[in-house]
Amino acid sequence: MADIGTARPAPGAPDAVPGLLDAHPGRVLALEGPPGSGLTRLGLAVLAAHPGTVAAVDVRGWLSPLAAWEAGIPPERLVIVRCPDRGLWAQVTAALLEGLGAVYAEVPAGASDALLRRLGALARARRAALLLRPVRGGIPAGLAHLRLRGEGVAWEGAGEGHGRLGRRLLTLRAAGKGAGGMERHIEVEDDGTDAVRVVPGLAAAPSRRAAG
Amino acid sequence: MWFPDWPLRRPDAPPGEPCQVVDDRNLVTAADVRAREAGVRPGMRRREAEALCPAAVTLAADPGAEAVAFEPVAAAVEAVVPRVEVAHPGLLFVPLEGALRYYGSEQAVVERAAAAVAAAASGEPGRIGVADGPFAARMAAADPPRVVADTAAFLASLDIGALGVDDVVDTFRWLGIGTLGDLRSLPRAAIASRFGPAGLQAHRVASGEDRSPQPRPVPVDTAAEERFEPPLTGLEQAAFAARAVAGRLMAALAPSGGIPHRVEVEAESAAGTVRTRTWRSADPFTETALADRIRWQLRAWVESGGVPGGLVRLRVAPADLSDRGRQLRLTEDAASGLEERRALARAQALLGPDAVLQARPQGGRLPGERVQWHRWEEPPGAPAHDPDAPWPGRLPAPSPALVPPDPPALEVEWDGGFPVRVRLGSRWEPVLSWAGPWRSIDRWWEGRHPVDRYQLVTSAGAFLCEVGPDGCTLAGVYD
Repeated sequence: MADIGTARPAPGAPDAVPGLLDAHPGRVLALEGPPGSGLTRLGLAVLAAHPGTVAAVDVRGWLSPLAAWEAGIPPERLVIVRCPDRGLWAQVTAALLEGLGAVYAEVPAGASDALLRRLGALARARRAALLLRPVRGGIPAGLAHLRLRGEGVAWEGAGEGHGRLGRRLLTLRAAGKGAGGMERHIEVEDDGTDAVRVVPGLAAAPSRRAAG
Repeated sequence: MWFPDWPLRRPDAPPGEPCQVVDDRNLVTAADVRAREAGVRPGMRRREAEALCPAAVTLAADPGAEAVAFEPVAAAVEAVVPRVEVAHPGLLFVPLEGALRYYGSEQAVVERAAAAVAAAASGEPGRIGVADGPFAARMAAADPPRVVADTAAFLASLDIGALGVDDVVDTFRWLGIGTLGDLRSLPRAAIASRFGPAGLQAHRVASGEDRSPQPRPVPVDTAAEERFEPPLTGLEQAAFAARAVAGRLMAALAPSGGIPHRVEVEAESAAGTVRTRTWRSADPFTETALADRIRWQLRAWVESGGVPGGLVRLRVAPADLSDRGRQLRLTEDAASGLEERRALARAQALLGPDAVLQARPQGGRLPGERVQWHRWEEPPGAPAHDPDAPWPGRLPAPSPALVPPDPPALEVEWDGGFPVRVRLGSRWEPVLSWAGPWRSIDRWWEGRHPVDRYQLVTSAGAFLCEVGPDGCTLAGVYD
């Protein structure tokens, strides 16, 4: 997954941010946005860069391993943990962080900020990468090393009843230390097979880019 | 001593009909005479075998039951020569050094063993071969018993296919190496540099050195032992104990990088009897393979009444260590695998075995159908649908990342057959573009209605929806 490499700065932005979309050990990556904003697949693609066994905590039973395989995680390295019980979610995620190098966890609605901060602290202590994808709402400020919020998604390939879904372009708002301490907009290109690529150069906040 | 087609000796094998046994990888492990006449060979894929002999009855392999049935045979041979090694149900090795001095000649030992086995096992007599080393003995096994005087000459005359390692064998043939003698005459260093460990192993076997020539010293105190208070009586408990003991043995050997080819399983019953049996394997044992062997052995002893009063002690000691242990990657540390397994086992303990899952691809058209789930650390069953079949009408990649198991209803507004708006939560989103309808008419003979599938693109994302007679449902979210 060399393609999840560098996010070059927008013209006018001062510094480059190498390895923006990497699963850094001990860091939390927050993926916020409503279902459909493309962040599950993005999270799985980031997870695929980790060399060992990875776990995905699935709170609704909806997560499809097929998409994970397409994102580059080999079937034998992916373990899906179904956790419909909100009361056990934090314990289960903590147990996984104790032993695995990278964990993708959907956050059930109603998980408290204190709980999420404790998990973040555990990830730091165990040097595990933690990817949080809230089912609803967001992640408390200051917890995530990098916060990505889906702003829009534009699909190519489908027309008026012909073609099929192909490439997509996600517009994300990146914030947190991982984004260089300032809020910036990045575009991520996903051609549907394996590589997810950060597109260089996007200046100001695009308004309604998804209208294509 | 070899019993070909041991898996076929079971009560549910139909008499008078061709029959074959397949294992959990869908490979044929045994076929009877009639199936063989039709061209079925062990190692073949199930589908191939069924095409060759459509009349054959196919049975699923049950190694546990086979081990139970084999126990009387092993016990009978053990009465003649102690320290029997079972490779798998149907094949056992007997070291003859001590027995030769006791009984006088090889012929005498073989006759006694054959007589003991004939009394214990009904049906076709076993094939017996005597030679230097297990591989040569297995190749020499015949009925009536064959004693090979010159093992080197015997091995040299064998076809290269006897090695059973298909990819290496094909290359050997292509290079003009037709027999094991041809292979042995080549310098070992040249074979090792061209074929790597597989070639080196083949050369060793061809030279009659298939027991590791310099067995690694077994580190002291690596045997795993467990005591049970109160005694275990149930098979389930014993199976669980087998897994734990196998895990501890492998963990104890891991620091030295060794991995056993042979283990000695010792069980003590509440009545004080101690039973020992050695299991060997051509490939080094993995933890699951070892746990299976221990479990079969315990089952065989329990079902034959060999551990009266229950099991109070179980001990597994390694022998014949090989250095073909798992080589860690540069960035991987020895503890990480263990920690991963502990973490997942903890999650499993919290949520139950059906919540920690792995999946593998199988054939199908919809994302939900193309995934075969199995519990973590348990072997996946045979795929219900062939992943290599063409599956026309399969949903193209990229696949939706979220696939609800019970598709919820989705409100879509149509205009002249074209989707116009989708209701997402409380708001309506206009459909920007769409692909489809792709009509799927399957299992109409079971009364299933045709379904139209659409990929709908809105500014909030893309969705896969199914339109059937009951309305529109959300089949997937391209998240």
